[in-house]
Amino acid sequence: MDAISLENVSKSYDSVTAVSGVTLRVRQGAVLGLLGPNGAGKTTTIRMVMNILVPDEGSIHVLGRPVSDESRDSIGYLPEERGLYPRMHVRQLIVFLGALHGLSEAEADRRAREWLDRFELGEWGEKKVNELSKGMQQKVQFIASVLHRPPLVILDEPFSGLDPVNAATVKDIMLEMRDQGCTIVLSTHRMEQVEKMCDSICLINHGRSVLDGDLRAIKQSYGKNTVHIEFAGPDAFLQHPSVAALNRFATGVEAKIKPGADPQEILKAAVQSGAQITRFELLEPSLNDIFIEKTANA
Amino acid sequence: MRKIWLVVKREYVTRVKTKGFVIATLIVPLIGVLTVVLVAFLATHRSDQNVRIAIVDNAGGLAESAARSLSAVRENGKPEFTISETIDRPASLDAVQQGLRARINSGTLDAYLVIPGDLTQPFELHTKNPNNFALLGPLNTAVNQTLMEARLRARGIRVDDIGELSLGADLQVMKVSKSGESVERGQTMGIGIGLVILLYMSLLMYGITTMRSVLEEKTTRTMEVLISSVRPAQLLAGKILGVAGAAFTQFLIWIVALGLLLSYGAVMAAMFNPGSSFPRIHVPISLLIWAVCFFFGGYFLYSAMFAAIGAACSSEEDAQQLQWLAMGPLVFTMAIYWTVLSDPSSTASIILSEIPFCAPVLMPLRMSVQAPPAWQAALSVVLLLLTTVGVIYASAKVYRVGVLMYGKRPTLPELVRWLRYS
Repeated sequence: MDAISLENVSKSYDSVTAVSGVTLRVRQGAVLGLLGPNGAGKTTTIRMVMNILVPDEGSIHVLGRPVSDESRDSIGYLPEERGLYPRMHVRQLIVFLGALHGLSEAEADRRAREWLDRFELGEWGEKKVNELSKGMQQKVQFIASVLHRPPLVILDEPFSGLDPVNAATVKDIMLEMRDQGCTIVLSTHRMEQVEKMCDSICLINHGRSVLDGDLRAIKQSYGKNTVHIEFAGPDAFLQHPSVAALNRFATGVEAKIKPGADPQEILKAAVQSGAQITRFELLEPSLNDIFIEKTANA
Repeated sequence: MRKIWLVVKREYVTRVKTKGFVIATLIVPLIGVLTVVLVAFLATHRSDQNVRIAIVDNAGGLAESAARSLSAVRENGKPEFTISETIDRPASLDAVQQGLRARINSGTLDAYLVIPGDLTQPFELHTKNPNNFALLGPLNTAVNQTLMEARLRARGIRVDDIGELSLGADLQVMKVSKSGESVERGQTMGIGIGLVILLYMSLLMYGITTMRSVLEEKTTRTMEVLISSVRPAQLLAGKILGVAGAAFTQFLIWIVALGLLLSYGAVMAAMFNPGSSFPRIHVPISLLIWAVCFFFGGYFLYSAMFAAIGAACSSEEDAQQLQWLAMGPLVFTMAIYWTVLSDPSSTASIILSEIPFCAPVLMPLRMSVQAPPAWQAALSVVLLLLTTVGVIYASAKVYRVGVLMYGKRPTLPELVRWLRYS
């Protein structure tokens, strides 16, 4: 059984097509990265899974059942547009949101205390939301979305606004939830997070799914088409006909090689030109590269 | 149902706990009490200050009669006017007037009256404060009496007390209704106007409260978190009921306070002044029940409209521009309620009180003045109920589309299009 399955789903607003014919399966227990440029249709897709929007065409199943108001209680949702009632007390608010997801108020309160302690917000429970810093509010919001221990969580940019320490806490909790069998959908623009956390991805562009599947398989299918070069001396060899694109860093360059070309030719050219090579490494393309390639020429 | 209840509870609790709510709940009765005390004080303590007046009589022989009329004492036993001097046919009016003006300016005189030589000409009152209506009333009476006495005397009729002669009769108005007759001293109008103001104010106040509350969820972006677990229609229902709960709590406190105050007032009046009757305003219970019914209907009708406006906008400024949609009918009702008050059984009044947007205010008003035929009241309730259901349905649709729309304020045609979304 899939945690989420979208079958040829389309949605348009007035004249704008937001999502068009997206088919997607998220295996139970998977961590899926939902990627795409701004305005690609990610939020619309998520909102349809949350039954906030109704698709014009196609069908959506969550945990084996068609989406409904009931199916939402099994999902923990952290929307990108987030906010909390500013004048409510923190713990009261978490309990309210937990109760809306079907928890009894006593149980919600017990769990809220646990979570607040875990995020070192224990003494903030009686404070009003608008007395909290943005990062603290972010943590409260995260707590509210996972309080009812949903088998499926959808997190839209969960790390935005968090300092490295808190981001690590959130990441650890996500991995913990994954180990307990929870399915996670992570929508973010931070590719390095996706590479670290996700086992599969779905890339949406202009409302269409342009790439989806196992992250490792996708990367392998691209082959080792990138060389990381660190050197000193002249850089004329970088103009070699086998180089398709260059990406310069402070310490070196990443050269993308044209399909079918031999990276050894570049190394040869470099040595001949008199450059001092300190590092020459063949790499799989980064997710960042794949993202740019897939979305730039579409 | 549980989710609606949770929303209602949150809305109610957070609203009732705000400082604004507590202050309004306490301050409104306080202002009421202060107003009553102030009015009572002013009514019983009309300026004790005596008006010092001089009379310049150009006609001759009238000053004495005018002085007599003016020196009549008031109920509290003190004369209203003190005649400081009477000047009979002065040789030089200008010189006399100059002297009197100087005295007024120096503060030793308050006013002087000039009786013209030719009685068809106007009498003149010279004073520093021409807006003192309390002074003008008795003066006018005195002048008229003086004139009447002079004319009677010219026809050879001698009168000792012109005041007694010119005493008019009071017209006592009795209100006839099915339950019998009652003496009318303006209480019908008082109840009617009170009812209109109360209904209008509460519909407007709590409507706007609902709108703000919806808007708050949008501006703080709490909305998406909420509607990922609550349906927009449930949220709308919970919000309206929650604000209603807070409103009725406030009303209940006010009504209890008013009741206590009235009985306290009656006790105090009986203690200090046995035999005096504390003014009793009798509001029939049936009228109260009807008013509450119409208030409920009107409240849900207008709140749903205000809530939809809140949902359609994304800022307070936008909402202020769109809120005329809901305020318009209310303001219209306030503009025409006088028609109904003065002639509650005219065709215009009947039609106006059947229009659902006006009915919540105008039908209870009609009832307070003159009981309308039962079928008219029933029809009005039915129309109001149907419209309310329709408006709530439409509002839920606008709400559902609007809650996730940010940015530009929608235009009216856009709002209409939202109604057609599935």
